[in-house]
Amino acid sequence: MSVRTNPNLLLEMKKYGDVNIESCFNCGNCTAVCPLTTDNESFPRRMIRFAQLGLQQPLLSSKELWLCYYCGECTKTCPRQADPAEYMATARRYAIAHYDRTGLAKLLYTTPGFSIFFLTLLAVIFGWFMYTTHGPMAGDALSSIDFITPEAAHLVIFIIIIVLGGLWGTVMMVAQVGKVNRFPKGVRLNWLGALWEAVGIEALGQKRYRGECESYTEPQPWYLQKWFVHASIMWGFLGLMAASLIDLVFNITEIKALGDSVPIWYPVRLLGTIAGLLILYGTSVALIKRIRKTDESTSHSTLSDWVFLILLWFSGVSGFGLEISLYLPEEPVWSNWISIFHIAVAMELIILAPFTKFAHAFCRTVALYFHALKPISDTNTE
Amino acid sequence: MKSDKIHVDTLVVGGGIAGMQASLDLANQGHQVALVEHSPSIGGMMIGLSKVFPTLDCCSCITTPKMAATAHHENIQLLTYCEVQSVTRNDDGFSVQVIQKPRYVIEDNCTGCRSCELVCPLDLPDVENEFGRTAHRVIYVPFTTAVPQKAIIDIDSCIFCGKCIKACPADCIDFTQTPQTLRVEARTIILATGFKVTPYDAKKEYGAGNLRNVIDAMMMERLLAPTGPYGRVLRPSDGKLPDSIAYVQCAGSRDETLGVPYCSRVCCMYAIKQAMLISGALPMADVTIYYMDIRTFGKGYEQFYQNAKAMGIEFVKGKVGRIVEDEDQNPIVRVELIDDNSRVAENKHDLVVLSVGMLPGYDTQPIYDVATAKDGFVQIPDSNVAPTVTTQEGIFATGTATGPMDIVDSIITAGAVAAEASAYMHLHSGSPAAPAAD
Repeated sequence: MSVRTNPNLLLEMKKYGDVNIESCFNCGNCTAVCPLTTDNESFPRRMIRFAQLGLQQPLLSSKELWLCYYCGECTKTCPRQADPAEYMATARRYAIAHYDRTGLAKLLYTTPGFSIFFLTLLAVIFGWFMYTTHGPMAGDALSSIDFITPEAAHLVIFIIIIVLGGLWGTVMMVAQVGKVNRFPKGVRLNWLGALWEAVGIEALGQKRYRGECESYTEPQPWYLQKWFVHASIMWGFLGLMAASLIDLVFNITEIKALGDSVPIWYPVRLLGTIAGLLILYGTSVALIKRIRKTDESTSHSTLSDWVFLILLWFSGVSGFGLEISLYLPEEPVWSNWISIFHIAVAMELIILAPFTKFAHAFCRTVALYFHALKPISDTNTE
Repeated sequence: MKSDKIHVDTLVVGGGIAGMQASLDLANQGHQVALVEHSPSIGGMMIGLSKVFPTLDCCSCITTPKMAATAHHENIQLLTYCEVQSVTRNDDGFSVQVIQKPRYVIEDNCTGCRSCELVCPLDLPDVENEFGRTAHRVIYVPFTTAVPQKAIIDIDSCIFCGKCIKACPADCIDFTQTPQTLRVEARTIILATGFKVTPYDAKKEYGAGNLRNVIDAMMMERLLAPTGPYGRVLRPSDGKLPDSIAYVQCAGSRDETLGVPYCSRVCCMYAIKQAMLISGALPMADVTIYYMDIRTFGKGYEQFYQNAKAMGIEFVKGKVGRIVEDEDQNPIVRVELIDDNSRVAENKHDLVVLSVGMLPGYDTQPIYDVATAKDGFVQIPDSNVAPTVTTQEGIFATGTATGPMDIVDSIITAGAVAAEASAYMHLHSGSPAAPAAD
């Protein structure tokens, strides 16, 4: 089987992060210290070798890229100080940009100027759209759904088109990784179990992240450990999304209108409040860690890392702003502006998810699915 | 008694194999040499080793005669247990201040009969020579083949019971000794300050020295040496004869996390040599060598490596990432098997030996003003042309003071430095060997 090589692969990857793997002499230390490597999943050295040899296709179809959680142990012990962990992170950025066939992710990652311009433009478009189509904006604005007019719903079509375009990238990833991890025809696979392990145990439960990946790091209180900070952001985001969707469903089914005052223990409100606190905590700690460069994983922040965290932080803060304004004795007019801001930020996050760091949520889940996928042994037929 | 002012042609600093060889080569040409050694015996690192590669000759059998020859040469003055304090340049060369540390034993009178050792009531772990695996008395002759065979008292541990005073037939115990200052006038100085090994507890992922059955190669040399602590290879935790022994190569070299980016040149060969010796000492034991690259560059070295492979010593390509231990203190080595589809293996062994590398033994900058290179070894500005000439005129360097090298190369550069120093003295002073006018 012939393999095409890309002689410029390493140079191309350097646009996505601090890559120093020319120093690597392939001793295998990184693979051996990594608490996650197994017989079948060998990284980071194999991934580094792909880049050194220009094997773009094997690199992009490696689930191993996404199994790494950046504990930094390989970088700490690398005899050549080639920074394998940061290479893995860079390779993930490179992969996101290349799974996406629209080219938008590539532009966002490699052209900071365009990235900032595009993000600002998108936010302004959203804000302007919301503003020009808003309903009555009096002091009582938020007490009524009228603030968001039916015209705004046109946005939804626009959103769907972009998200579909982006999700195509995930499909591409599934196709590529699937090709490498193919099982012979007729073999029964534990696909349901693998799905549960990928989404439930690993993605949501973070089993290996909080287990293996913490085994050699400096001892820290649980609330500062990397997995918990990450989990707060993830659980917070999912909680907020769930709360918003339930609210919307309640509104449609006329159980409770949007913006109606409810007591704090009201389940949806409680969920939203706790999730909001989680996401604010998580993003704040993550941002502080990146500013202070507390360990290997936080010392190489790219624009994509900052944008992702800052957008999440803003959506959390503005969400709380909304809640506070709703429960003030007299709703202030600025609540409308916060509302516009909140929706713009949240929309931007969701729409750009497939093209930014957010895409890791899909990619990791796909990789974890293939990680968990195994033939079912026939012992039960005996 | 030594006079407190010594006049010589060359002061050699360091009494290891390179320093001894350089001293002998100069003395045999008629030059007067003073050899300063900081420890109580000459012999250096080599006297502690088991066998030399690639011939598997006995190390003691090579070193001991050299030590004796050095000590007994009429042109060599041995200054053991001495340290150079300061060096000043004058018209004739150098004026060197040397501190003679007190042995609390009158050196000139002691005959090395060891009567004192028999009566001394206190034992101390022998850290200097045997990694604390055996003991010596508070008053002791450093080791069996030490030169000079003179006793020394570890004064900090001495309880001054006076038993040795009564036992000594030559009345040479003297608790009142104090450091003495000697002045050495020399025309040239040769630095043979040697090396030390990279600390075996430096790497956290190798247990940071806390795993009892992970030892360094220098200790393995002692276990294999005929004069060693047990007379055989036993593992430290329980004294078991190890059935499975692993070598971790580059455990102190080619590793920027330790600040040692260079190759130490000897570790591949000594690991192969030790593996062969283990095959002799423990014929049933399996020996595995985990390596990044095997570098066997010297004469006969590659054949040595091939012989080891033919003997059944297993060579596994892959740098060991981590060593942990199980409940029986068996070390478990985690390594990527690069030649076996990048599989990650966790292999259990009875004993793991870290092939530690070489660090400069001494910083020549403060006292000699001899520049050191980035790696800390003595800088040799023109190493291809003049491999023993330092940045200071009249000061030369040899052996592992100039960089990692094996015994063969140390002896070669010792000969080279003797020739270089001799030629320098011939050219730079009214030497008796100056050519006649006509």
